[in-house]
Amino acid sequence: MSHLSVVLDLPPAQWHRSARHDPPLALPDFLSHVLVFLNAHIANNAENSLAVFGAFPGTSPLLYSSADPVPARLPIDSNSYPSFVHLDHAVARRVTAVLDSLGTDRAPEPSALVGAITKALCYVNRLAISPSSAAPAEHVLPDPRLLILSVSPDLATSYIPIMNSVFSAQKLKVTIDVCQVFGPDTVFLQQAAHLTGGSYIHLERRDALLQYLIMAFLPPPPIRKVLAVPTQDKVDFRAACFCHKNIVDIGFVCSVCLSIFCQPVPVCSTCRTKFPIKTLQRLNQSRPLLPSTPRSTSPKSSPGTPAGARTAPTNGANLARSISTPNELPHSSNIGSRNSNGRSHSMGGSVTNPGPSEAPR
Amino acid sequence: MPALQRPSEADKKDSPHALLPFLQTQSQTTLTRLYQRPSSCLSVFRLLAPLERQIVMNLLWLESAIATSTMVAWVQRDGRKLYEEALGNLSRLHILPNSAAKLALNFTFKTSLRQALTGGGTSGSFGVPAEKDEHSGPSIKTLDSFALERWETILHYMVSSGTGQQPAKPSQGVLFLLQRSSLMSSFHGGPLQITSSGFQFLLHSPHAQLWDLLLQYLHLAQERQMDLVEVLGFLFMLSTMELGREYLTENLSTTQGVLLEDLRDYGLIWQSKPKSRRFSPTRLGTTLTSSSPPLPTTISASSGPLDGFIVLETNYRIYAYTDNPLQTAVLNLFVSLKYRFPNLVVGMITRDSVRRALMNGITADQIISYLITHAHPQMRKNNPLLPVTVQDQIRLWELEKNRLKSSEGYLYTAFTSQADYDLVLNYAKQLDVVLWENAAKRCFFGSLEGHLRIKEFIERRTQNSNS
Repeated sequence: MSHLSVVLDLPPAQWHRSARHDPPLALPDFLSHVLVFLNAHIANNAENSLAVFGAFPGTSPLLYSSADPVPARLPIDSNSYPSFVHLDHAVARRVTAVLDSLGTDRAPEPSALVGAITKALCYVNRLAISPSSAAPAEHVLPDPRLLILSVSPDLATSYIPIMNSVFSAQKLKVTIDVCQVFGPDTVFLQQAAHLTGGSYIHLERRDALLQYLIMAFLPPPPIRKVLAVPTQDKVDFRAACFCHKNIVDIGFVCSVCLSIFCQPVPVCSTCRTKFPIKTLQRLNQSRPLLPSTPRSTSPKSSPGTPAGARTAPTNGANLARSISTPNELPHSSNIGSRNSNGRSHSMGGSVTNPGPSEAPR
Repeated sequence: MPALQRPSEADKKDSPHALLPFLQTQSQTTLTRLYQRPSSCLSVFRLLAPLERQIVMNLLWLESAIATSTMVAWVQRDGRKLYEEALGNLSRLHILPNSAAKLALNFTFKTSLRQALTGGGTSGSFGVPAEKDEHSGPSIKTLDSFALERWETILHYMVSSGTGQQPAKPSQGVLFLLQRSSLMSSFHGGPLQITSSGFQFLLHSPHAQLWDLLLQYLHLAQERQMDLVEVLGFLFMLSTMELGREYLTENLSTTQGVLLEDLRDYGLIWQSKPKSRRFSPTRLGTTLTSSSPPLPTTISASSGPLDGFIVLETNYRIYAYTDNPLQTAVLNLFVSLKYRFPNLVVGMITRDSVRRALMNGITADQIISYLITHAHPQMRKNNPLLPVTVQDQIRLWELEKNRLKSSEGYLYTAFTSQADYDLVLNYAKQLDVVLWENAAKRCFFGSLEGHLRIKEFIERRTQNSNS
């Protein structure tokens, strides 16, 4: 048996863009692919457990958990397996309910991806703790996994919470798999997958989502030792600074608490360590010349403000853009071949040749 | 009976499911007919090994066949052998036809499994659920106690046969099956007696026991000209049903109607009255293709969890926290019981008690694995779980049983002279039939096959010396 937690990133605005992007992938199609994938996980073993979380703007509810009691009024028929019906109904119903309850008048909040990830990890943790106090700690959940299906771009403010969840995932021995279904590569989720031994895939053939999901994310870790899954050949390891939440190429790290800053600061805002003025001067001299960011305009984070509590100031974005990006965001290795034959099937598309473009060695 | 495996933790994971070898012996047409039902496909899929399941999944949504080399590119170098084995198993089940160039799933299997995953279709293979109404069906608790009672009746009947007790008899069909599977046999027309494979059967997990019996039933069904596809299809349908829900008997065929009655005797199905139009699967039925325990272990226990109830000490003393007569009877197979309390049985593992078990055909490994699987949670803190002294001693007792080797033969004595003795002994040695010799007593022991020639040799010698 194995446990799978799935986080579905469902911000309406982003999905609207995805539906109009070429090739289109609308939310209902996405959900039908994902539901078949989830059914496949349950089909693998009757004891496999599953939890599905949705990341909506501002809220991250639990959509389905295999521990849920089966509702008595479930309309089961003689043609389908009751567990599948239960799962499909619960997810579809709750997604619709949450989407309806989201007001259109509200200013679009970013999707609560971090909240969903944290809840998913809490769920795994609760499963890992044996219900009976008789045998504590001995009971370890066999290879729990967390799959994130993301469509949102990186949110610089979420660097610290994502990194914190990665550390707790490592502690829980949770493998984090990431599939970026739409939009640019996300640096943070890429790191999360890399650090927990999971796999990160940037979806290329969006009509073949189901095939990607099954080949790369269905096998539990023991099977991955025999049948390879794509892993990243290049990982973007850049971090976000604590002061402006920018993704930085060169960061300055507090020698005491390891906080990261985008520029030398006299006092660490996290642990309030004071740095000698000479060091500051030396560091400033060694920085590459950045004419567009005079020191006076970049705001210092006032000491005493806890890191992570402030949102990024607007002019901080200038700083990030002006730093020359040395390389493009790397691509993860891809599973779909470029051999597109245009045919599409109602479920899962028609990938005729799912071979890896580079043989996993 | 299938070959008895040591049911240790590691083996259970690796050995294929007991049903798969049986399925592999079936013809392609039978299997293809079986695969027409989505519920059967789902159940067979669940019985496969994890790697085989992943291979099936990888190929499931592909429209056309893919080149073998493309698939091999995904296999890690050390996993090549496992991968080849998995492909072999799948082709023997006719799920993935064996082909050198292209890989594609059996079309029927692919269609049905897809249908199982997405729902829909008109196969009706998951059973027709009954509408919930005022006389709603049995509670899960009723079902559990029914299944437990039926199953324990069978086991208890087996374990107490020959002890002079008169436990409740299971139905005639069950008795016949027990006899057929040579778990029990009657000597000279007397009452049924448990056999050595029956003793081994008792120490298996309930899941393995259930499948052992069902496999026998399948063999029997073949002889009774029952349609195997319908029997298997019904079993698989049971395994995908929901516990605590009632189903209608309407769409069942005649064969399946017969099956319904038989399975009721085993406790897989509950019906309010024999001719009822509704039936409910019990936990024994719904867990057929999963690995969760098929029997509710806590119901009959007034005292604590029953899945682990044995405490074994280094001084060979055994404490079993149980009031279940079946478990006590099973323990009695290899433990000499000393005291009984309302919730506790105390006994000793002695040389005699273990030898008695060994005589019955139980092996030391089976005793040890039974003790391991039923160890009390308190014992689980120990490493190793069982005291090493006790484990070793049980194994030594088994070796002790094998200390004597018997072979039939003849003892040659009373040679008149040393010369005679040497002559005959040399001849026997040339034939290589001497098992034992003692020159001081002038006798030796020769095996059966050499006797005739030695006898002739001696007679020739006597005639020669007489003439």
